[in-house]
Amino acid sequence: MSEGIVIVMIGVSTLLGALGLIGLLWGIKTGQFDDQSKFIDGARFDGEDALRDAVMMEEKKRKRQEKKKKDEKAYGPPD
Amino acid sequence: MITEEHHGQTLHFCCRGCQGVYHLLEDEGLGNFYEKLGDTKLNPPSAQQGDLEKFDLEGFEKRYVTVHDDGLHEINLIIEGIHCSACVWLNEKVLHKLEGVMEATINYTNNKAKVIWDPEEVKLSKIIETIRSIGYNAYPYDPKLQEERAVKTRKSYYMRILVAVFGSMNIMWLAVAHYAGYFGGIEQSFKDILNVAEFILATPVLFYSGWIFFRGAFYGYKNKTVNMDTLVASGALSAYLYSIYAMVTQRGEVYFDSVTMIITFVLVGKYLEVLSKKHAVDTLDHIIGSTPTEVTTIKESVKSLVSIDNVIIGDIIELKPGERVVIDGILTRGAASFDESSLTGESEPVYKEQGDEILSGSICLDSTIHYEATKDASSSLLTSIAHLLEESITKKPRIEQLANTISGYFSTVILIIALLTFAGWFYATGDFEQALIIGISVIVIACPCALGLATPMASLVGISMSAKRNILFKEATFLETMAKSRLLALDKTGTITEGRPSVLTEKILEPFDFNLLYALVNTSSHPVSKGILSRLKSKHKKLQNYELEDIKTIQAKGVKASFQGKKLTGGNASFMHSAGIVVEEQSEHTLFYFAIDDRLVARYELSDTIKEEAKEAIRMIKQMGIRVVMLTGDHEQSAKKVADAIGISEYYARLLPDEKAKKIDELHQAGEIVVMAGDGINDTIALASSDIAIAMGNGADVAISVSDVVLLDESPMSLYESYRLSRRTFQAVKENLTFSLLYNVIAVPLAVAGFVNPLVAALSMSLSSLVVVGNSMRIKTLKFKKEK
Repeated sequence: MSEGIVIVMIGVSTLLGALGLIGLLWGIKTGQFDDQSKFIDGARFDGEDALRDAVMMEEKKRKRQEKKKKDEKAYGPPD
Repeated sequence: MITEEHHGQTLHFCCRGCQGVYHLLEDEGLGNFYEKLGDTKLNPPSAQQGDLEKFDLEGFEKRYVTVHDDGLHEINLIIEGIHCSACVWLNEKVLHKLEGVMEATINYTNNKAKVIWDPEEVKLSKIIETIRSIGYNAYPYDPKLQEERAVKTRKSYYMRILVAVFGSMNIMWLAVAHYAGYFGGIEQSFKDILNVAEFILATPVLFYSGWIFFRGAFYGYKNKTVNMDTLVASGALSAYLYSIYAMVTQRGEVYFDSVTMIITFVLVGKYLEVLSKKHAVDTLDHIIGSTPTEVTTIKESVKSLVSIDNVIIGDIIELKPGERVVIDGILTRGAASFDESSLTGESEPVYKEQGDEILSGSICLDSTIHYEATKDASSSLLTSIAHLLEESITKKPRIEQLANTISGYFSTVILIIALLTFAGWFYATGDFEQALIIGISVIVIACPCALGLATPMASLVGISMSAKRNILFKEATFLETMAKSRLLALDKTGTITEGRPSVLTEKILEPFDFNLLYALVNTSSHPVSKGILSRLKSKHKKLQNYELEDIKTIQAKGVKASFQGKKLTGGNASFMHSAGIVVEEQSEHTLFYFAIDDRLVARYELSDTIKEEAKEAIRMIKQMGIRVVMLTGDHEQSAKKVADAIGISEYYARLLPDEKAKKIDELHQAGEIVVMAGDGINDTIALASSDIAIAMGNGADVAISVSDVVLLDESPMSLYESYRLSRRTFQAVKENLTFSLLYNVIAVPLAVAGFVNPLVAALSMSLSSLVVVGNSMRIKTLKFKKEK
C-alpha cells in the first residue's frame, strides 16, 4: 500500500464527514431544528394554497417598497 | 346546541362563539381549517377582553416592540390555545391575510410567534384582536429575557460539542493505527500522514470547541486567579504545541488525541451545567415583567389609562378583580379581598375596606375598587423590593470551590516544575531541544484528564442522580457549597406546610346532595373554597356541576346562591349568624359551614397542614449534624405550633421579606454557610442572600429564578436527599482529586527525569481518566432509606 492511497482514504473520509458536520451546524445555526414539527407540517400542508400564500406575502412586501419609493419621491426635490 | 341552515347544510354549534368563528373563517375562505383539524377537539373561544387599547400605548410599545430600520415593527408573542398544527396554520393564515402584516411565523413547539407589521397600515391592537377573534389569545413577551439568552448559549455549546465529538472520534481511529504502529513498527512516512491528519482534526477542536476554556482562562488572568479553565487551556495548548513540534521534527510521539479528549470531556461536563444555568440579573426582568405598565386613573369621573410613571400622589386609581397593585395607596371606595401572598407568604386573602392601606405586589381578588395613591411608582413597596433584590443578588456570597483552589495551586506548581526541569536539563546537557521536549512533557503528563475530570465527572453523576429524584441543581458547584453547609433555614408556608388550607374534619349533620356544595364552592376562588373543592373531588367520584342562580359572594364571609328554589349558604360563622343560623364555633382552625334553606347540614374544619414526611425529613437532616432554623412571616403562635410539630427548636416569627434577609446575614456573620429553602416572593430576598437557595417547584417564578436548587416534587424529603447527594458527590470529588494528585506525584518525577516514553504516557493518561470516571460512577450506588 502506498502513501498516496492512505492519504486519499483518510482525506476523502474526513472530508465527507466534515461536510455532514458543516451541514448539521448550518441547520442548527439557521434555526431549522427549533421547531420539531415544522418539517412534518410543511409536508402535510404543502400545496397550491401555501404557494399562493407565499406569493401574497411577497406581493405585500413589494407593494410596501413601491409605496415607500413613491413617498420618498413625493417629498424629495424634483428631478 | 345551536343549529343553523347554511348553503343547504344543517350546521351544529355548541355555542355562539364557535358559530362566530366558523362564519369568520368561511368568509375569509379558510373553511378548510376544519378538514385540517382532523380529530382534534377545540375549546369554544373565550369571551373578548376589553383591554385592547393598552397594546397601542407608548409604554407598551417601548417595552416589547422592536422597530426595524425600514420603519417596520416587530413583536414576539406567545399564542395561547394552540393544540395542533392546524391551529398554527390558521393563525399564520389569518395574520397573513391581514393588511399590513409583513411576516408572521409561529413555532408550534413553544407557541411563540414573531410578527412583523407596518405600523402605518395596521395597529398592534388590531393584530391582537384578529388573533382573539378566532378564539386564541396572544400576549407579548420580551425576547431579551433569560430564556432566549439561555437558548442561545445552549445552541453555541451544542455546536462546539458536535465539532469536538467529530474531531475526537476521527482522531481515535487514526490513533489506533498509530499505536499499532508503535508496537508493530511503522515507516516514518506513514506516521507523518497520520500525524498531519490528526493535526488537521485537532485544530478546530482546540480553537473552536476549546474557545470557551481560553476565554475562561483569559477572564481568570484578568481577575488574577488561576482556575480550571487555565489548567485545561494551558494543558491542551501545550500538548498541542508539543505535538506540532514532534510532528515537524519527526521526533517523539504526538498527543493530538489527548488534546481533543480533554476538550471534549470537559466541554460535555460544562454543557450539562449550562443546560440549567441561571442568570441572576434576569430575575429583575422577571419581577418587572410581571407588573403592569399602566393603571386606570379616574379624574373628574373620566377614566383613562396612564403609565405608572405618570401617576402622582393623590390620584384616584381604579382596580379591577385580578389586577396586581403597582402603586401603594389607601382604599377610598368599595371593599375587596386581597391576595398578599407575595408579601407575607400567607395564602389567606386579607379583607380590606375604606381607609385600609393597599400594598403594591398584592392582587385584588373579587371586586372593583377605587383607591388613592399615597406613593408614586418609584417608591412603592414592589419597586423597593426589586431594588433590595438587585442589591442582594450582586452581593451574593460565593464560597471558594475546593477543586478550583487546588487546581489553581497545582497549575502554578506544575508550571514552575516544568520551567525548572527545562533549566536543569539545559544546564546539565546543554541540549536546548531535548530540554524543551522534557519540559513540555512535564506539563503534558501532569495536566491531563484526571484532574480536569475530577470535579466535572463527579458533579455530572451527582447532578443527573439528583435530577432523577426531582431535584434540579442549577450549577455543578452548588453541590459542593451545599455539602459544606451546616445550617438550613426554612420558610414555613409552602415549604414545611402545604401553603393552602385543606379539610381536617368533616361533620355531616344531615345527609344532602354533595353536588350542591360542589357547585357552590366552585363559584368562588377563595382558598377555603378550593380546599373544600379538592376534598369533595377526592371523596366523591362523579360530581355534577349544577347551574346555580343568584350567586352572591360576600367579601370575607361566604357565598350565597339558589338552585331550583333551594337556598344554599356557605361561609364562616359570622355569615351564618347574619343568616340567623346557630352554629358551634369552638375551633382553633378555620371553619366553613354549609346550609340548605337555612338548615345547617355540614361543618368543615380547615387548616394549613404540614407536609407529609416533614418531621421525618427534619429529623434526618438534624442527624447529619445540620442546624435547622425556621423563618416565617406568620405570627408567633402558628409558627410555634408548626415548629413544635416537626421538631424545630429555633424559629423566628413575624419577619418581613427584608428582615428574613437580615437574619440570613446575621447567620453569615456567625460564620455559617447558609442553605435557605422557600417558595414565595416574600422569601426571594432571603433566598438571594443565602449561599444556596432552594425553591419549591411551583413557588413564585421569581423565587425559582433566584434559587440555585429547585425541588420539583416540593417534598421536605427532597431537602434531605439533596443534602445526602451533595455530600456524597463532594466526597467523590475529594477522592478523585486525591487520586489524580497521587498519580502526579508518581508521574511528574518520571517526566522530570526524562523517562516519559509514549507508552507510559498513553497508558497512564487513559488509566487515570478511567479511574476517575469509575470512581464517580460509584455515586450512583448511593441508597436512600425509602428505596427497596
